[in-house]
Amino acid sequence: MKKIVNSLLCLAAITSANAMDTDVEKFNWNGIEVVWLKDNRYPTYNINIYFADGALSDQSHKGETRFMFSLIDAGTRRFSQKDIAENLDFYGVSYGGDVNHEYSTFKISGLVKDIDPTMRKICHLFADATFPKVELDNLVKKSKNEARNLSSNHSALASNAFREISLDGSPYSYPVDGKLKDWDRLNSKALKDKLNYFNKDVLKRIYLSGPKDVLSIKRIINEDCGWTGEAKKVREITYKPVQSSGIEVTLVTVPNANQAQIRMGRFLNKGEFEKRASLALSGHYLGGGFTSRLMRELRTNRGLVYSVAAYSGGQKDYGRSVISTFTKNENVMELLNVVETTLKDVKTTMDNESFDFVQNSLAGSDPFRFEKTSSYLNELMFMDHLGRPYSDVYNLQSQILKTSKEEVANTTEQIFNWNEQSIVIVGDKSLAKDLKKKFKNVKVVSFKNFL
Amino acid sequence: MLQRKFQIFSLLVALVFTASCSHNQQQSHTSEVDLDLDVKKFTLDNGLRLLVYENNRLPIVSYYTFFDVGGRYEENGTTGATHFLEHMMFKGAKKYGPREFDTYIERNGGSTNAYTTFDNTVYYESFPKASLDKIIDMESDRLQHLLLEEKSFEKERQVVLEERKMRYENSDKGKLYLAMMKDVFKGTPYGGSVIGDKKDVENLNRDQMMDFFKRFYTPDNAIIVISGDVDASDVYSKIKSAFGSIKKSENLAQYKREKDAPKHYQFKKKFENEIRLHGQSENPIFMIAYKGEPVGSDKSYQLDILSSILGQSESSYLNQLWTKGKHPKLGATYVANYTMKNNGVFYIYGELLHKVSLSSFKNSYEKMTRNICDEAISERTLQKTKNQFLVQYYGSLETNAEVARFLGNNEFFAGSYDFYKKEIDIINAITVSQVMKVCKEVFNDEKIFVSIWNKHPNK
Repeated sequence: MKKIVNSLLCLAAITSANAMDTDVEKFNWNGIEVVWLKDNRYPTYNINIYFADGALSDQSHKGETRFMFSLIDAGTRRFSQKDIAENLDFYGVSYGGDVNHEYSTFKISGLVKDIDPTMRKICHLFADATFPKVELDNLVKKSKNEARNLSSNHSALASNAFREISLDGSPYSYPVDGKLKDWDRLNSKALKDKLNYFNKDVLKRIYLSGPKDVLSIKRIINEDCGWTGEAKKVREITYKPVQSSGIEVTLVTVPNANQAQIRMGRFLNKGEFEKRASLALSGHYLGGGFTSRLMRELRTNRGLVYSVAAYSGGQKDYGRSVISTFTKNENVMELLNVVETTLKDVKTTMDNESFDFVQNSLAGSDPFRFEKTSSYLNELMFMDHLGRPYSDVYNLQSQILKTSKEEVANTTEQIFNWNEQSIVIVGDKSLAKDLKKKFKNVKVVSFKNFL
Repeated sequence: MLQRKFQIFSLLVALVFTASCSHNQQQSHTSEVDLDLDVKKFTLDNGLRLLVYENNRLPIVSYYTFFDVGGRYEENGTTGATHFLEHMMFKGAKKYGPREFDTYIERNGGSTNAYTTFDNTVYYESFPKASLDKIIDMESDRLQHLLLEEKSFEKERQVVLEERKMRYENSDKGKLYLAMMKDVFKGTPYGGSVIGDKKDVENLNRDQMMDFFKRFYTPDNAIIVISGDVDASDVYSKIKSAFGSIKKSENLAQYKREKDAPKHYQFKKKFENEIRLHGQSENPIFMIAYKGEPVGSDKSYQLDILSSILGQSESSYLNQLWTKGKHPKLGATYVANYTMKNNGVFYIYGELLHKVSLSSFKNSYEKMTRNICDEAISERTLQKTKNQFLVQYYGSLETNAEVARFLGNNEFFAGSYDFYKKEIDIINAITVSQVMKVCKEVFNDEKIFVSIWNKHPNK
């Protein structure tokens, strides 16, 4: 009976997902690929401009791409930063750039009635941003301030340190934003050159949602922004596979920490992150929701943590796995022991019942991916980035239902192999003693190394 | 927990702009916002209120339950009981025992959680529509027959203490906020943290919590909001069947009237105080707090507008003054008008830049406040704020969960799910002179300056 109910449930969701497919239309605007997601519910729009390059384009000036997008509204030859902010705020527009290693996006949202003047202003910024020195200096000061105050935000510090350590040896280890030592080297000319590169060379795609009126920006994109299909540069990268050297523990010390932030995981090479359904099931089994394996072991059974999450997945050319949690100093060793046992016992503890559970859970949650238009639009954009068909978005649920227990158990054992984990703990230096008793390879470093 | 309870949504003004880049040429015309959510409201004989919004776009549903109990009803020595109880509501009841609630929901692709504020406790689930009947049954079970098992009670106590560390003890921003709330509302039910004092959480016992549960978790003290792929009359029948026989409370209304009496919430102490906390931040972080207003008062709407004009967008007055230009003083700033059911606080937050002295900043702040109202408030900045509210308003109604939360907040704080229509009128009618008046009242009044820094003495 349970199977029948689940089948009906999933069928309803799949039918719905396919129906969503009919809401997507593609256009070619003078060589620029445009994807429109029809949404007539409210008089609002979302625009995602995709650029096929990101922080990997930064050579001697690390953080340059991020600073370029952050300062694109800092002034043009005609308008000051204040004029621009005043103008866009008057429309109630939200906008901003987002940069990762492989690609970048610039997102704009607001009321449809204002889309034309807003987009003209945005195009004006892309065409004429001057990156005034005074505003660049301001952003550098602000970024330094944020970095220095990370000593009081242990969660963010742990995530930064974990990324750098676990991705070490790959091109993706260095922070997209750059570090304290990089920012003084940035200058207005370099940012202008970077903008020119993104305008003239880098391939773009436009993703739109809203009623039909949003298509009115076609002429603005081609004429005011001046973007055409002639820009074809796509970031490609080759690198040697990252080899694990066994379990590594790094204690990042911060003063006066009465709680330890813990991250563990590893870099995923090509061949390890492409099976989306299997990876999603693996992460969901270990740390997705209140009923996940680690949540039950750490919180429900032992009261050790407030939360724990696990994830594994890929970008276009690399992937990563991560388990994220925190606990008081006295509990750190017990927590690590419980996680170790849980990861080592995956193949025996993942029985048919627990696998059915996680499979139904993930498949049943599928319709929620389409509830928020901006999230749906992001999924379509990401598929294009990967070079995958949109059917991957709509078929994820059926892929989840087709994946076997053995495959997920193997994936989990491989991806979350205890003996290959990079473990990063942000906490008090007194933790070092116990960590060194349990692990051979323990490094103790100051948090300042990661600012 | 720091969420703003009552979302202010604006407004009747929709604007048509010229195509110019220059803001001087922006023009506006007014028209009405076309939003009228088709909601069915039912009230059971035992006082339980039910709101249903039908939306068949996707085969999913969101289910919210608002209880009129929050940190404000706690007594000395039992602070944190409301929040701790919120955790225990997931630990099993008579028909659906420990772990069955979240197990059922997550097994079928749903999710569940809850939050507690000073004013209310809100439980929510989002799930595929096939789960609705079971979830109604489970919600009815835990409202009537909560177990509060001793074993899970003790484990959850540790979880709550860990949460407390994460939010306050190990976070400079959390410490700063808590110190401000304690001082602003000292001697009133809002003068602390919803999560409770550490000692109280450590000592709270099961009997105290059960008393608390029995007093406040009654149908006449709850609002259920369901949004999604459902039929309203069908939902009503199911809710009536599951909840209709539960007895309403005795004397709760009288108890709440006494506890909510305005005299308990009046500011008890003179402001004009400075608090220096030792923290880990290398640069000082501060909050400057002024007396605020309870949710729903005319003045609270004017303060909402004022907070937005001063510090809620890139072009806002203090953002431009302090974080832009040749001599910025702050790395970040914002202004908030935090309104609760019986009182509120209006505050400014800021992070000093490296090498900007705290004392010199405070001096310049005093000078700045002499002219802030005249310089910041104009027809244009008022209109800009109203436009921003309009966009936020649509943006917060995209998912079933967002619609349910929106309707529930309107019903809870204003007593009517469609109060948003009146609120739109109220916001739209606000004038420059009104905002100017409240601005001058705020900045001529007493204040509390709270800062945290690793160079402040560790007392």
